[in-house]
Amino acid sequence: MSDFVLILPEVCLALTLAFILAEEITYHGEQSRWVNATALMGLGAALVQTLITYQHAPVQVFHQAFSVDGLSLFFKLFFIVLAALAIVAASHSRAITIAKQGEYCALVIASTLGMCLAASASDMLLAFLALQLVNILVFFIAGFGKRSVPSIEAAVKYMIFSAVGGAFFLYGLALLFSATHTLNVYEMHRALVSAPLAADTGLVILMLAVLFFSFQVGAFPMYFWTPDVVEGSPTPSSGFLTLGTRAAGLVVALRFLIAVFAKPGVAPGQWQVLGEVDWTRILAFVSGATMLIGALLAVRQVGAKRLVGSLIIAETGYLLIGILVLDQVGIAAILYSMVIELFSLIGIFYILTYLIEQFGSDRLADLRGMMGRAVMECTCLVLFLMNLVGIPPMPGFIGKFTLIGAAVRHGRFSLAVVAIIAITISTVAIARLAYSLAGDLRKTIARPVASSPGRRIFMASLLAPLVLVGVYAEDVLKWAGKSVGFILW
Amino acid sequence: MTNHLITLMLLLPFVGAIIQAFVPNPTGSASRHGRSRWVALASSLLSGIAGVVLITSMQAETADMQAIESFPWIGSFAISYEMGVDGLNALLVLLISIVFPILIGYEWNQKLAPRGMHGLFLLLQSSLFGAVCAQDLFLQFFFWSFTAVPVYFLIAIWGGEGRETAAFRALVASSIGNALLFAALVLVYYSVDPHTFLLKDLGGGKLAGKTFEVFGREWSVSAVAFALIGAGLALRIPIWPLHGWFTQVAEEAPPSVLVAFSAAVIPAATHVFVRLGYSLFPETLVSTSTWVMTVGASSLLIGGICAVAQKNLRTLFAFICLGQIGFILLGIGSLSPAGVMGAVYHQFVVGLGLAGFGLLIGLLSDRAGDVTFLGKGEKSAFGGVAIQAPTLAIVGGIVVGSILGFPGSGGFIGNALVMIGSYAAHPVTVLLAGASLLLAAYYLFTMYRFVFLGKPGPDSERFTDLSLRERAFMLPLAAGLVAFGLYPKPLLGLVRPTILTLLSMVK
Repeated sequence: MSDFVLILPEVCLALTLAFILAEEITYHGEQSRWVNATALMGLGAALVQTLITYQHAPVQVFHQAFSVDGLSLFFKLFFIVLAALAIVAASHSRAITIAKQGEYCALVIASTLGMCLAASASDMLLAFLALQLVNILVFFIAGFGKRSVPSIEAAVKYMIFSAVGGAFFLYGLALLFSATHTLNVYEMHRALVSAPLAADTGLVILMLAVLFFSFQVGAFPMYFWTPDVVEGSPTPSSGFLTLGTRAAGLVVALRFLIAVFAKPGVAPGQWQVLGEVDWTRILAFVSGATMLIGALLAVRQVGAKRLVGSLIIAETGYLLIGILVLDQVGIAAILYSMVIELFSLIGIFYILTYLIEQFGSDRLADLRGMMGRAVMECTCLVLFLMNLVGIPPMPGFIGKFTLIGAAVRHGRFSLAVVAIIAITISTVAIARLAYSLAGDLRKTIARPVASSPGRRIFMASLLAPLVLVGVYAEDVLKWAGKSVGFILW
Repeated sequence: MTNHLITLMLLLPFVGAIIQAFVPNPTGSASRHGRSRWVALASSLLSGIAGVVLITSMQAETADMQAIESFPWIGSFAISYEMGVDGLNALLVLLISIVFPILIGYEWNQKLAPRGMHGLFLLLQSSLFGAVCAQDLFLQFFFWSFTAVPVYFLIAIWGGEGRETAAFRALVASSIGNALLFAALVLVYYSVDPHTFLLKDLGGGKLAGKTFEVFGREWSVSAVAFALIGAGLALRIPIWPLHGWFTQVAEEAPPSVLVAFSAAVIPAATHVFVRLGYSLFPETLVSTSTWVMTVGASSLLIGGICAVAQKNLRTLFAFICLGQIGFILLGIGSLSPAGVMGAVYHQFVVGLGLAGFGLLIGLLSDRAGDVTFLGKGEKSAFGGVAIQAPTLAIVGGIVVGSILGFPGSGGFIGNALVMIGSYAAHPVTVLLAGASLLLAAYYLFTMYRFVFLGKPGPDSERFTDLSLRERAFMLPLAAGLVAFGLYPKPLLGLVRPTILTLLSMVK
């Protein structure tokens, strides 16, 4: 019975989903609905449950398939807050009409459930199924605009990539299963310690896994879906899609790579590569290529949404540094950066939604001088972008510093140099967007568009946590470190 | 001695920027921007007053860091909020305190988004105070790299026709510069054990002899970090041979922004160079001082030669800037007490002088609508301004005199000290400096003659003398230039002990 207490957040989410579905069945075209409130209440309950579960010691339940530890709880909080923000952001937009709210909320809650399961899964089959659940739902959300060609393209692209990536991972998993006769990551680890893999088998397994994870987190070489999904999906959901799938992929990747293919190092809080294949070098290459490709793509974009999509690719590259340095400080840096990314990406897409709905386009040429018409929104957009890229004084800079610092501490100078170059290129990319917003202000300033208080409050509620995360960076880093500290390895 | 003047000075413009953005203005066309600009001016001025109080309350004859404020910020990375003033940055605090209220006064009647412009000036003031006072490498970088952001937007929004390219080039240069600085910062942090960002812990030869290995070769941390910092700062300011973007900025930026950049950001950059160079990498600085002086002398000479050929006040300003930075670098590289003191003092008076000159350009172009003083066929858009606007001409004369280094003006003290100090190190550079001063006399007097003296120009009737508002900021500036030239002793007294202590560590 105590097993069920520990998965109460997931239970809450599943119940909420049931309520939303019931509401959707009984919906007859009324103009006011309670579905958003239902969803938010359910998410609130799940959040409280997760915080309560934080009190327990790390433990594995359901025959070791499911581990409730710092890492999973951190990411559960992340996903629940993400879903809540995504639902509030969508309720301010015209893209999700009242009639479709139920459908949208159901998709968001269901994929949140999948993400939470993925965060906890220590059985690789469970992790795979949870990720595929997320991917199928993301496919539906990306294709939400059924009549829009980019939306369909995004959905199909995502589906093909997820099918191919999933197949890779299953092959790799099958090979690993035949070598270790288990699917549990910790048992796999023990089996590999006693009977190491042959070098070529290990290489094949790791390459297949890296291919899958590179799809899931949007890294080189399977990053192609990211800009398309960002562009094609309904704008209010873009933040949720890109953050949710990537974070879910990241947490599974962390568990898979570090729990199975690394062993505790000499110093406390550090690991070493297990086996003959040095997968951190593969990951370092992937990370560097991802950063550079993302930043270079961002400079070339003419649409704001695709530009942000490319910046997200670069962002993934920085996050990967945190894994490949193989220490707790690096993972804490990832978690810190994820918190930063959460608020800034939701904010960016929220404001882009508004600009697109107000002015009809997200092309940089069409956004010219929009700061004159929507001062608050554009100023916040610039701040969120600066935060995403990591330009002082926004706390994103601290996140970038911790990640790049991790690379330097482990002697990966070339990776640090690539990261700094990528940040510089990204700065130029967002400067282009900022110029198109602000540069021709003089033509538009006479015709301002009124800003609604609800929108201001939501933007402030995204900026405020960011400021706090910057000012109390120490506490956030400590919390992230604590979450990492009580993982079962 | 603990007071919170530095934090006050830092926070007031920031808070003011936020308040003035939201404070409701009374409606009606006459008082459209009534309240917000008063808030902006008040916060800038109060912050400036806090700065002046801070400087006047400093104890002379001591090299210790004063008014220290310190508390940990991000403990796990040993980052702390540590602020302080000593002889090196005291004059810059004073400079920033003076310049920014003046700029808001100059842009008092800005028609295009005045709240935005005043807000960006306030943010710039705040971050410059931070960059100048920070005694923690991370904090210093944090504030310093942020200064590029307001400058970018100020050029991009309020600039002239070609503002997009100008702002873009400025941004590319400064982001590359910041990236290099960031690389140096990370390198320095991880090469000392225990890792720290505090300048006082990093100083004292901690970095000497440290190496790191990359591409199978050993590199000296000190040399690489010094090179990165030098290049990173050089990209943020006009220095030969990296000044191409600055002439474009000078042509496009509004005069007030040009002043903010050249009179505040540039001295702050040279300050960061002195601070980091002398405290973190003394031995590298000694071995590269010839290079620093060479770059300085080249900037000086090339700035002077190019300035002779200019027919337009803005580009003339750009090359004067280049030359003045050359002077400061000469002093920094001289490694002698007089030279370094001259450089530090020159940062201050150059800031004031360039502020005066930039505002003069603004006032002239507001009136004439043009900045060309030597038109086609030697015809000037200006001419005989002195008759119509005598106060403007007098202020102009003082500013030009100070830039030229006339005895009795602030520029003279700096120039003289730098030349005395660097003669011992490299006599050739002093010859170059002297030659460039002769050039300066030529181009500045030509400019002055064509603008203020001679036959009245085509639109000379339109010229009005300084209004009360303009007098309110131009006259104190001119008075300051004279006063700091006639009686530099108290300020030099503040600077001297710190410089001597720094140099004693170098030797």
